[in-house]
Amino acid sequence: MNAAPSNARSVSLTVNGRRLVGVTTPRTHLADFLREQQRLTGTHLGCEHGVCGACTVLLDGEPVRSCITYAVACEGRSVTTVEGLADDEIGAALREAFSAAHGLQCGFCTPGMLISAWDLVRRLPDADDARIRLEMSGNLCRCTGYVGIVEAIRRVLDDRKGHR
Amino acid sequence: MQGTGVGARVRRKEDDRLLRGRGRFVADIALVGMRELAFVRSPVAHARLRGFEIPDAVRHAVFTWADLAQDGVKPIRAASGLPGFKVSEQPAMASDKVRFVGEPIAVCVADSRAEAEDIAALVSAEFDELPVNVDMLAACEAGASRVHEHWKDNVFLETSVGTPFPAVAAAAPVKVCRTIRTARQCILPLEGKGVVASWDRQTEQLVLQTATQMPHIVRSGLSECLGVPQDAIRVIAPDVGGGFGWKGLLQPEEVVAAWLAMRMDQPVRWIEDRREHLVAAANAREHHYEVTAYADARGKLLGVEATAHVDAGAYSIYPFSACLEAAQVGSILPGPYEFSHYHCRTYSVCTNKPPIVPYRGVARPNVCFVIEQLIDGIAQAVGRESWEVRVENLVPPGKMPFDNITGKHFDSGDYPESVRRAVAGIDLAGVRARQRQNEPDGRLIGVGLATYCEQGAHGTAVYHGWGIPMVPGHEQAQARITPDGGLELRVGVQSHGQGMETTFAQVAHEVLGIPLERIRLIHGDTGLTPYSTGTWGSRSMVMAGGAVATSCRILAQRLRRIGAHLLQASPEDSVLAGGCVRSGGAEVSIAEIAHTWYRAPQLLPLDVDPAGLEVTGGHKPKSDHGTFSYATHAAVVAVDPELGLVDIIDYLVVEDAGTMVNPMIVEGQIHGGVAQGIGTGLYECSPYDNEGQPLASTFMDYLVPGFTEVPHIRVEHMHTPSPYTEFGMKGIGEGGAIAPAAALCNAINDALRPLGAIVSDAPITPRRILAAIEAAGATR
Repeated sequence: MNAAPSNARSVSLTVNGRRLVGVTTPRTHLADFLREQQRLTGTHLGCEHGVCGACTVLLDGEPVRSCITYAVACEGRSVTTVEGLADDEIGAALREAFSAAHGLQCGFCTPGMLISAWDLVRRLPDADDARIRLEMSGNLCRCTGYVGIVEAIRRVLDDRKGHR
Repeated sequence: MQGTGVGARVRRKEDDRLLRGRGRFVADIALVGMRELAFVRSPVAHARLRGFEIPDAVRHAVFTWADLAQDGVKPIRAASGLPGFKVSEQPAMASDKVRFVGEPIAVCVADSRAEAEDIAALVSAEFDELPVNVDMLAACEAGASRVHEHWKDNVFLETSVGTPFPAVAAAAPVKVCRTIRTARQCILPLEGKGVVASWDRQTEQLVLQTATQMPHIVRSGLSECLGVPQDAIRVIAPDVGGGFGWKGLLQPEEVVAAWLAMRMDQPVRWIEDRREHLVAAANAREHHYEVTAYADARGKLLGVEATAHVDAGAYSIYPFSACLEAAQVGSILPGPYEFSHYHCRTYSVCTNKPPIVPYRGVARPNVCFVIEQLIDGIAQAVGRESWEVRVENLVPPGKMPFDNITGKHFDSGDYPESVRRAVAGIDLAGVRARQRQNEPDGRLIGVGLATYCEQGAHGTAVYHGWGIPMVPGHEQAQARITPDGGLELRVGVQSHGQGMETTFAQVAHEVLGIPLERIRLIHGDTGLTPYSTGTWGSRSMVMAGGAVATSCRILAQRLRRIGAHLLQASPEDSVLAGGCVRSGGAEVSIAEIAHTWYRAPQLLPLDVDPAGLEVTGGHKPKSDHGTFSYATHAAVVAVDPELGLVDIIDYLVVEDAGTMVNPMIVEGQIHGGVAQGIGTGLYECSPYDNEGQPLASTFMDYLVPGFTEVPHIRVEHMHTPSPYTEFGMKGIGEGGAIAPAAALCNAINDALRPLGAIVSDAPITPRRILAAIEAAGATR
């Protein structure tokens, strides 16, 4: 390993339920911290200017762009990435529905889509298709034309309504 | 169709890992000791490169073309055999001259990308700026500065297809003229390019893990540049985050990374960032047309004449060259229509912009945009509904297969029926009724159609005719039964969203009956797969899928031979079905046959084929002309005449992909293509200023259609199997992207008709719509 740079900072945070202390630099964004230091490569970088949404993670339960969030700003906070949805009930329902409705092709935007969709499912159980599209409009996909993604999210919402 | 074979709507095998964030894209790869690269890129569009200022402290970490040239690295060279083609030589980093903003001029190496960028910021270069060729038409004028100074002009290639027909033109009752421009676009897969290069000390190979659609072609190109024999290079495509054409070329950065890995004896990684992509890779679809259609009084086409310019940028890319796009314009402008007279001149123009890359559909979205505007223009001139004029001019099913005016061999289908079904499905009568009543919000409703046919799975002759570095035509696949009765397939094409891990397994299952979960596809690795020109041109399912079927059929014969022996039956009385060899009431499973071959060969027949349960089979369709899928797209729009905003309120695709291996995946390809076509039609543009500076370098400037811009897309299928391919499959991957710009343009013009306004350039932005309305007002 290389020597720590002179402006190194330590940051302690919780990632996918695991408390950890990392060494980073003030300019390192959260996505690079997660990907390069924690090897959580499920979080993808599509633009690094906060538009495409591929890097969306949950910060204290709310979706944020990890490419425009500094790692050092996450001191004491809790981060959930797509890997952290492995045992999550909504995460499992979304994975099932995305596959059934063909809501992914190359899979590059998918982690960000799942995180944004997870937030939508929690907040807006009654969202219709138009609302789903509006809520998801911070995430870009170049493969699917969004048809399968909207369908997948609606299936999850409908299914959960059936169980309410 | 049922079960999980050809025609089944089964879920994708690749989904689970991607949904869990457990895929492996190139940026996810980390090797021990890996260094990171950042490129210094030209800030000017056209200049002599006088030299560099590199601080001594970082001199060891900065490399320029001089370093590569010293090692004998050659420029990228993609010539065409077409007469008159002028060859460009593209050094992987600029040598004595820069020719577009974003061209790499130096590379910086550090332990992290951030530190490499810090070094890049310290490097400066001295330029003598030259006049810039920004506009392709101006670049053709005498006196324009030359992008390549030893050329006599700025034209890579001029072609002429067909012959002039002045007498027919003069006598034609209807004449429709248009001048049409389409914007330069960025292809923009959500994952950019990226490469990890390393030297494998054990196999003594340069290993390039790279986000590519065509690993075998990248290997050939690298070999030619580096002077390293191809057996000493292994190119691997990991999970690739979309391509659409952008990953179908040898990239200069790949050459640099490969050279550095060998030179430094350390792994190196370069990951394209979005700004690099938007600036240095704004590289598709910029065309200009002067076009006239001639028709009789009913609207039957008599002839089409056109002059087309394609802005091909500064260099000819490897392997497709700078002329592919314009040459395709000449051959496919007639579209799916039958007419007797045609003349088209094309110019592939060299400008101070990034080189052009064939983007999903290549020139088809552009020529469809042109010919479909002409059809609507004719319909208006003769006072008929445009669908009637389309049906009147489309090649009728009774003439299939049909050789059109440029020699394209349409294989099958009922083109007019796709129009009739689209008209019914979009409820044209209902839209017309709605138009007769004013909308409460003042918006204008319009409906538009566009029909195309798409050559996929190209054969040998057409590419040989272009004489570019790559000629397709055959494809191979390897099929291997594992000792426990599973199946491994190996193909040289590469799947980056198309779901081939699933669809090729469906093909194999159709032949062998092995369950999908026991079939594994290995693809995109020159070390593990048969040679292939790769994934492009809607070819992989037809070509490599066909080869999978061939290989599996050969395997089936061998399995049947051994199985029959184990059943003490004759092979002729035995069948392979449902994963077993059966004879009479007895059966033996493929797993048992596999066990016998690998683990108990003493039980095999004495004359067994010693080649075993591993086969390389090949495929070439019965026709060398490829397949022709086709579709009619129908759009209904609401146009706000005050703001120029367009809402797509209904969108329907009626398409014919022949036999669909997996209808869910076909529909996904169409949905995604349509979204990209909506981008072409309404939003996407990489503008340049007069100095050749790109003006869209972030997603705030370059508008990609999102959830709220793309409507729900309805798809209806027609089913005309190709007579020439396995199972009757037709290539479909690009089709969705071809017609949307045309259908939307026709719909918008239909909406604007009461105002007398007409738009003809893409993208059809609010500004253009308002300008058209204003111009119409001024002339009335």
